[in-house]
Amino acid sequence: MNDIVMIASAILILAGMTAAIINRDPFDKLISLSVLIAGVFPFIVDRGFLDVAIATALIAPLSTIFTLMVCRRVQL
Amino acid sequence: MIAVYVCAGIAVYAAIRVIAERNTMRKLPFLNVVSFAVTGIIALLLPHPITIAAAAAYFVGSTLESNAIASTWAGGIRKP
Repeated sequence: MNDIVMIASAILILAGMTAAIINRDPFDKLISLSVLIAGVFPFIVDRGFLDVAIATALIAPLSTIFTLMVCRRVQL
Repeated sequence: MIAVYVCAGIAVYAAIRVIAERNTMRKLPFLNVVSFAVTGIIALLLPHPITIAAAAAYFVGSTLESNAIASTWAGGIRKP
């Protein structure tokens, strides 16, 4: 992997982690977590674990959807 | 090799815009931009035939995730 791509992925991971810690709204936390997961993927693909990347790309949105079912607004 | 650098720059810029934006609804288009840029990085990073399958799987999954967050944040149909 090039140094520039690696530094960009690390910036994505660190920015998503910092925003997920700082934000108070649960939707903002989920968006920051999505940025963090986007930064992890080039590191998985760079080593050649493409099956792991496919499985993670299909399982990670399911965990987000299950978390969204908790913080849904209740309509009265 | 310049295409990977362009995708990396777009990803970092959109991530900074996601973090700096205060309104939650304005964060979501930039989250989509991050997903597109990372899909480009994945597709261009490794010269292997299954890489395009990984990029397509990540594209479908990230789009599904952002749309799920957006539709849940919008709250659905308002009942009169």
